[in-house]
Amino acid sequence: MSSTATADPRPLGPPDPSGEVLLSARGVSLSFGSVRALKDVDLDLRAGEITAIVGDNGAGKSTFVKCVSGVYRPDAGAMTLGGESIAFADPQEARRAGIETVHQSLALVEDLAVWQNLYLNRELTKGVGPLRVLDRRAMKSGARDMVSGLSVNVPSTTARVRRLSGGQRQAVAICRAAGFSSRLVIMDEPTAALGVQETERVEALIRRLRDDGRAVLLVSHNFAQVMRLSDQVWVMRSGRCAAGRRTAETTGEEIVALITGAQSS
Amino acid sequence: MTRPSLRPLSFAVLPVLVLASACGGEEAPSTSGGGGGDGEVRVAAVIKGLDNPFFQAMQQGLEEGAATEGVEVEVQAAQSITDTTGQAERLTALAQQSYDCYVVNPITGNNLVQGLAQLPDGAPVVNIDQPVDDEAAQAAGLEISTYIGTDNEAAGALGGEHMVELLGGSGTVGLIAGVAGDVTSAARIDGFSQAASGLDLLPAVSADWNRQQALTAATDIITANPDIRGFFAANDDMGLGIARAVADAGLQDQVAVISVDGNEDALQAVADGSLAATVAQYPYAVGELGVQACAQLAAGEDVPEQVDAPVALVTPDVAQQAIDAFPSPFEDGASTATPSSGS
Amino acid sequence: MTSGTGGAAVRTATSAEGGAPAQQHRARRQEDPVTTTAGESTSTTGTARPGWRDRLADPGTWAELAAPVGLVVLVVLFQVLDPTFLTLGNVEAMLAAAAILVVLATGQTFTVATGGIDLAVASTMTFSAVMFGVVFGAGAPVAACIAVALVSGLLFGLVQGLIIGYGRITDFIVTIGGLSIASGLALVVSDGQPQTVISGFMLRLSTGGVGVIGYPVLVALVVAALAHVLLFHTRFGTHVLAAGGSPEAATATGISTRRVKTAVYTLSGTCAGIAGVLLVARIGAAEPAANTQFLLNAVASVVLGGVALMGGRANIAGPLFGALLLTALTNGLTLLGVSQFFQPVAVGSVVVLAAFLSRYQR
Repeated sequence: MSSTATADPRPLGPPDPSGEVLLSARGVSLSFGSVRALKDVDLDLRAGEITAIVGDNGAGKSTFVKCVSGVYRPDAGAMTLGGESIAFADPQEARRAGIETVHQSLALVEDLAVWQNLYLNRELTKGVGPLRVLDRRAMKSGARDMVSGLSVNVPSTTARVRRLSGGQRQAVAICRAAGFSSRLVIMDEPTAALGVQETERVEALIRRLRDDGRAVLLVSHNFAQVMRLSDQVWVMRSGRCAAGRRTAETTGEEIVALITGAQSS
Repeated sequence: MTRPSLRPLSFAVLPVLVLASACGGEEAPSTSGGGGGDGEVRVAAVIKGLDNPFFQAMQQGLEEGAATEGVEVEVQAAQSITDTTGQAERLTALAQQSYDCYVVNPITGNNLVQGLAQLPDGAPVVNIDQPVDDEAAQAAGLEISTYIGTDNEAAGALGGEHMVELLGGSGTVGLIAGVAGDVTSAARIDGFSQAASGLDLLPAVSADWNRQQALTAATDIITANPDIRGFFAANDDMGLGIARAVADAGLQDQVAVISVDGNEDALQAVADGSLAATVAQYPYAVGELGVQACAQLAAGEDVPEQVDAPVALVTPDVAQQAIDAFPSPFEDGASTATPSSGS
Repeated sequence: MTSGTGGAAVRTATSAEGGAPAQQHRARRQEDPVTTTAGESTSTTGTARPGWRDRLADPGTWAELAAPVGLVVLVVLFQVLDPTFLTLGNVEAMLAAAAILVVLATGQTFTVATGGIDLAVASTMTFSAVMFGVVFGAGAPVAACIAVALVSGLLFGLVQGLIIGYGRITDFIVTIGGLSIASGLALVVSDGQPQTVISGFMLRLSTGGVGVIGYPVLVALVVAALAHVLLFHTRFGTHVLAAGGSPEAATATGISTRRVKTAVYTLSGTCAGIAGVLLVARIGAAEPAANTQFLLNAVASVVLGGVALMGGRANIAGPLFGALLLTALTNGLTLLGVSQFFQPVAVGSVVVLAAFLSRYQR
């Protein structure tokens, strides 16, 4: 059980041979004016794994994640997805490539039903040309499948999102992210606003995502959660990727030390 | 008949007027001591909204009268015939510009009182059509040189008398008013009601001076009173809407519609038979008289305190004459008056 | 076939606001463990749907049904007070009087659904009517006049929509300006004069019909039906609701809220154009009248119909009933000979009551 923590964050030998590197970033840098938000970030995400990015405020976690999801374009460096190099012009391109984001605000429309939210801007239609109408039945049935496929606990897919609890909404948002042949699901503080019971539920859902073969990228301040859920942890500090660890091979204290810089890498 | 459009054009007209009068256009009758100081006499006029042909005719009377008198006139109107504060603001703006005389046609009895109090000292005020409230004027210390107008009550009364004639002294009559609470409307309706008190008058319904609303109201009144014999409308636009409602109900032979204003469309409707009569108030003449009075006042002459402007009941037999003479009064049945022939 | 979790969870979720801890707890205790089958779990506690008694007790139901219920109450009340109310002739007249308002309210529903409002809708109607008159006065055939009216309304709405959607200026301000501009344009184009329109076609349009349903009413119903399909059965309709309910969620999922906004104002303008044609038919003239009452009533109909002014919740039937309700109210008060000073009080009170009820919408 030797610690494989080294300064070199190159791909570590996967303990599980089925976990192929899905997304890989090398030398990614981004500046906003004179502020260098990201400096030479190198890291990997594997399919079938939950990868966590942690770090103090301003360390660059959200910025990096936004580069992955197409909100920002890096000034320098390269990213590959499934071996192919990527450079997204906008989040829609990232979505089309299979990268979905669960926003912190969830991006759900309260007065629409669960199924309407799941299919938002991806509505199924029937008919031709100008007579195209919504195929509500197909969407409702598809929604039921999505929801039950991930064993998401909502009262009914026809319920308005307004009526769901925080955890249920979170689950719906995750379900949407997972539901459209996405390869990578990004989550930013998914359980920050939830109680204990609901957090458990959501975490179970996140695990199911992983078990289905997707890659999950988790940004979280909750160390206990990171230690519980993730397979791989990357620590960001001052815009750099300071260190990477296999979760099984590290401890919460070490992570904290890496974040604060008490331990360098 | 085209009318000059709004402000921009009247600015262009003024220099032309100046030139025209300088080239020997008709002068005002009095030539003793030019009261207007150097240059032309400048008159400002504030009337109700131009969204109604009645006031467009008034504007035309003011402008053509000014041309005849050889004075400059600046006509400003409220945005609509319900815009009381907007009209007051226009007067206040004009008050800053030191005109020699002000012609005002207020929307209500009171809305221009404050503005009038701000006029330059000594500038005479000619009140046309809608009277400024007496008490309010006194309280504000206003001096109004003359009132030129058709008493709206008298106009309504003319309509009422005729309705009694047409109906042979009895029958149910519907009353359609303008904006609820409007003084002109109330005066016309009151005048009609008093003159036609022997008839069965229904409670007045307000249709906001709007043709469509009058049509709807008249339709409903006909439903409630199938044996209705007549309608009185506080203005022509509404009268035309009522006429349409009556026609839609197929009751043209049973129901007589009388309105007040004397617009071209209404005169034509009287000629065609869809309106039984309209009481023409000759806003053109009122405007003309107004600016004439200003010219005389600016020249230092006196004018009578009150001048009754012409008003005429236009029935089908005189409709064509009225149309031909429009916008001026036609001879038959109209009492014309000029400022010098007092009351 | 039910999906999802047990019935108890459904009942607690639908009969109360949000998730109060006690109710959530009850739900968790009673539900079945989650399964991975295709959603067919049976309930241990009986029927899933809330009973009709629960529905009646819920003020939210009344809020959504305010317009139809109000209409029924009003009809009964007026009929009792004056039996001429429900005569064929009066019903026909009421429907005809409501047609224009229904068309305006339908267009307005779309703009309100996106969280906006079109304050220029009545003035756009006036402008379209006047354009009809101008072309008619120049001797063009009626079909051309109608086309011009529709296009005028559409273009005006489009311009407003572009300014609001792409110029990012608040709809309130843009449409207030639009209100003045449209009224002014109407006055300019018509030189302030009404234009009499005598046309066999227009006369038939306004006075003809199928039984008690006049042609204008049919036009209004067709417009409403198309609007309903557009709102609830097309992608565009869903995007309208999303853009109004949560512009941020809409943008995050890739919906162009700018395009949606532009489209709804164009729709509103087009409806105003249609209403303009109906107006000309009804009064037999094209005139630059302010038509302010129509604006107020259109907004009131939309509110009465349960459409949230904040956006995101909308329906077409509601404003339609709202328009009928307002028309019936005016009609009934006139039939009863109620004082002209009291009518505005009555109408305003009904609108405020409706707004009050709308607070209870689920």
